[in-house]
Amino acid sequence: MKILRKRRDESILILFFLMLIMGMAYWFTKPHTEVLEFGMFTGSNWNVANANSFVIIDKAIARFEEEHPGVKVHYYSGVPRDEYSEWLSRKILAGEEPDVFMVLGSDFDQFSSIGIMKNLEELIEADETFDEEKYFSSALSTGKYSNVQYALPYETVPTLMFVNQTLLIKEGIEMPGSDWNWEDMYAICSQVTRDLDGDGILDQFGICNYDWQDAVYSNGGKIFQANGKNCFLADESVIDAVKYIRQLNELYQGQKVVREDFNEGNVAFMPLTFAEYRTYKTYPYRIKRYANFKWDCITMPAGTDGDNVSQVDTLLMGISANTRKEELAWEFLKLLTYDEEIQTQIFSHSQGASVLRAVTQSAEMEEIVQAEMEEGETVISGRLLGKVIEEGYTAPQFKKYEQALSLTDSEVGEILEDDATIESDMKILQRTINSYLQQ
Amino acid sequence: MREKKEYYTGMFQWAMLVLNCAAVVFICTFIYITTNRIRAHYDARNFLGNVMTIPDNPRTNLWLCMILLGLLVVNFIFRHFPRTEYSRGAAFSLVVELLICVVIMYRLDFNYNGLLLLVFADVIAYIKDSKAKMGFLLLAIGGYLLADYELLSIYMPLFNMMDYVRYYTFTSQQWLSCIWNTMISLNIILFVGYCFSVINIQRGTIEEVNELYHELQNANEQLSEYADMAEKMAQTNERNRIAREIHDTLGHRLTGIIAGLDACLALADVAPQEVKKQLSVLADVSREGIKEVRRSVSELRPDAVERLSLNASIRKMVTDMGKMSDTQIYFDAGGEKLEFGEDESNIIYRIIQESITNAVRHGHAGQIWVTLKRIDGEVLLEIKDDGIGCKELKSGFGTRHMKERIEMLGGTIAFDGQKGFKVTAHIPIRWGETYD
Repeated sequence: MKILRKRRDESILILFFLMLIMGMAYWFTKPHTEVLEFGMFTGSNWNVANANSFVIIDKAIARFEEEHPGVKVHYYSGVPRDEYSEWLSRKILAGEEPDVFMVLGSDFDQFSSIGIMKNLEELIEADETFDEEKYFSSALSTGKYSNVQYALPYETVPTLMFVNQTLLIKEGIEMPGSDWNWEDMYAICSQVTRDLDGDGILDQFGICNYDWQDAVYSNGGKIFQANGKNCFLADESVIDAVKYIRQLNELYQGQKVVREDFNEGNVAFMPLTFAEYRTYKTYPYRIKRYANFKWDCITMPAGTDGDNVSQVDTLLMGISANTRKEELAWEFLKLLTYDEEIQTQIFSHSQGASVLRAVTQSAEMEEIVQAEMEEGETVISGRLLGKVIEEGYTAPQFKKYEQALSLTDSEVGEILEDDATIESDMKILQRTINSYLQQ
Repeated sequence: MREKKEYYTGMFQWAMLVLNCAAVVFICTFIYITTNRIRAHYDARNFLGNVMTIPDNPRTNLWLCMILLGLLVVNFIFRHFPRTEYSRGAAFSLVVELLICVVIMYRLDFNYNGLLLLVFADVIAYIKDSKAKMGFLLLAIGGYLLADYELLSIYMPLFNMMDYVRYYTFTSQQWLSCIWNTMISLNIILFVGYCFSVINIQRGTIEEVNELYHELQNANEQLSEYADMAEKMAQTNERNRIAREIHDTLGHRLTGIIAGLDACLALADVAPQEVKKQLSVLADVSREGIKEVRRSVSELRPDAVERLSLNASIRKMVTDMGKMSDTQIYFDAGGEKLEFGEDESNIIYRIIQESITNAVRHGHAGQIWVTLKRIDGEVLLEIKDDGIGCKELKSGFGTRHMKERIEMLGGTIAFDGQKGFKVTAHIPIRWGETYD
């Protein structure tokens, strides 16, 4: 009996040690060299061609590896922007997400809400060399979810108004100033909207792709509450914006104005991003598009209750909540988003603008941009660019934002098509969207 | 019967362990497989859009839970060694089990808290101390209530297994939910069954004790009845014997004496010489009668004095008393063998007995010396002790009785309570007494 017991004792001990060894084997077979994983996509975030997307990152990595001996930064190359969201999601699901990664604006709120993004507040608090004030506040706020900083901005792109200078000169209209307003724009639009060849169909237009959202932002309005619980569709600023859009649309007598019309030189204004401005101002893209007319960009027109404000898009970067290399990840994130040298590279190798005030508003930036342009072209001034970014409207971050906005947009589109009164329709829509948000 | 019940209880515990392990393996594997499936189908972003949160790393979770389950089983087997049952080791093992279960539940984001029922069941089985049992039970109940997924998910982001189930087609969802709910229900059923069987064992024990108690009571009653009966029978027997003795001895002699006396009455005037002769014969017969009466009486008396010699009786008493108390009793019989009459023996014996009792009870004596010897024509009986003695002689110590008894033998008795207590009696030796 005693021998039997002893044998059972032994077998259990052996079993226990076997398990211990298995656990240790698992632990030790995992790679243990200090490798910081970085997740990024290839190409531009701004729907423009970008051949140099790795240049900045490679430079940053080289510097980081030099400053941190024994640390390697590894990134996955060749994930296009369109596939990046799915690629990152698959990594996240398997618990293998990179330590530091780019986050698309459409993913940020979702990822923050499910706890994948690391809360950066403590790291920011603990780092004395870090000053949030150096960022454009609008860019920084896009990395906030429920008032917590989950990501830092890397690159930002404001929306600007493209102006067909050739057309305006032909019509004898002066180039509007950066403080122009809705009335100015409406006056120009009604002046240029004409049937040039006399076939009864309009073939020259004032503006295209200017939608009610652009109008709302420049009229000091907001579509959603920051926490995503309510919308403000029945607010006067919003209703006025929608009315203004209808007013502009009415100029075209039901005709649709599309981007191609602008490309052919038949439209005076079109909102485009700063990235597009930079792309099409430089070789070789300058030749491919907008080659038959001179163009420039200015701020968006101010609404009756607002300012020359437009939407600002920002590319964010964050740290995985599960990272084991918190310090390194933070250092690397800081290098990419906070280092002036690296941020200056954005103007050389990317199409957006730096998120740091000092960099975007520097003379160096103007030089870099100017160098890429044809002689005689005026460069948007750093001061103006800084103002547009700083005052720019940033989309609120809440989980249902993307869906709610697209739902609202299609409904407002229908209201604009109908002849019904805008006020009552917007009130009804507000109720519908609110109930969706509060679900 | 009881063994069989305990066997069933043990089986319930094992079944619960196996089921819980199966449930944990099921969740971990299911999450792992589903994650891989979602990734393979490029549905990850879509899936992430519909969940509250996701587990850290399904693969690590799977590994960790397997290892923890292994530890749980080892721990369980360890506790089932006969010698570890109900020991301190068992309590430690229970704490370990609770910890392992909590870690597993935490890793599974509290999607499965049936493990607490397992801990619950084991606590009921292993802790005999009712206070510790209650403590553990409260802890387990509290844990079970607090570890509820719905409750916890209000306060912290927890992944929901149902989000993963919802990824599948409707039919598969139904199957998965069915399997899962069956596991949960089965666990509860096993737990209830287990509790029932434990209660059953305890109730069985109580019933057994009650039954035995009743049997014992009956036996006691019977025994006392038997005792009564035996006493009565003994009494009857004794009476019969006495009656027989009286009839056989005294009756016979008296009849003879009466007949002799009648003859003497008839002869008195006629032949006085004959009467004298006759009377002397009658006297002899009477003496013979007395002897017989003595013998009968001695046969009837059950006392030790009669069966043993006086010396032996006293020695026996001294030994017995010495054994009964912590007192050392020395008996000195003087070397010479003394012959006493029955009444003398009795009185001496009683006096010694009474004195020793007094010395022990009132004097708290540690040592007692008893001396019985012949000095000149007297017998000296002395009982002294080293107890506290007493300054004044109080009645109630049986001294009066002793005095009366000694006086019956024509002797004297003296008491001295100054240094310990001392009883001294002088009894004259009866010379020429011809009873014997």
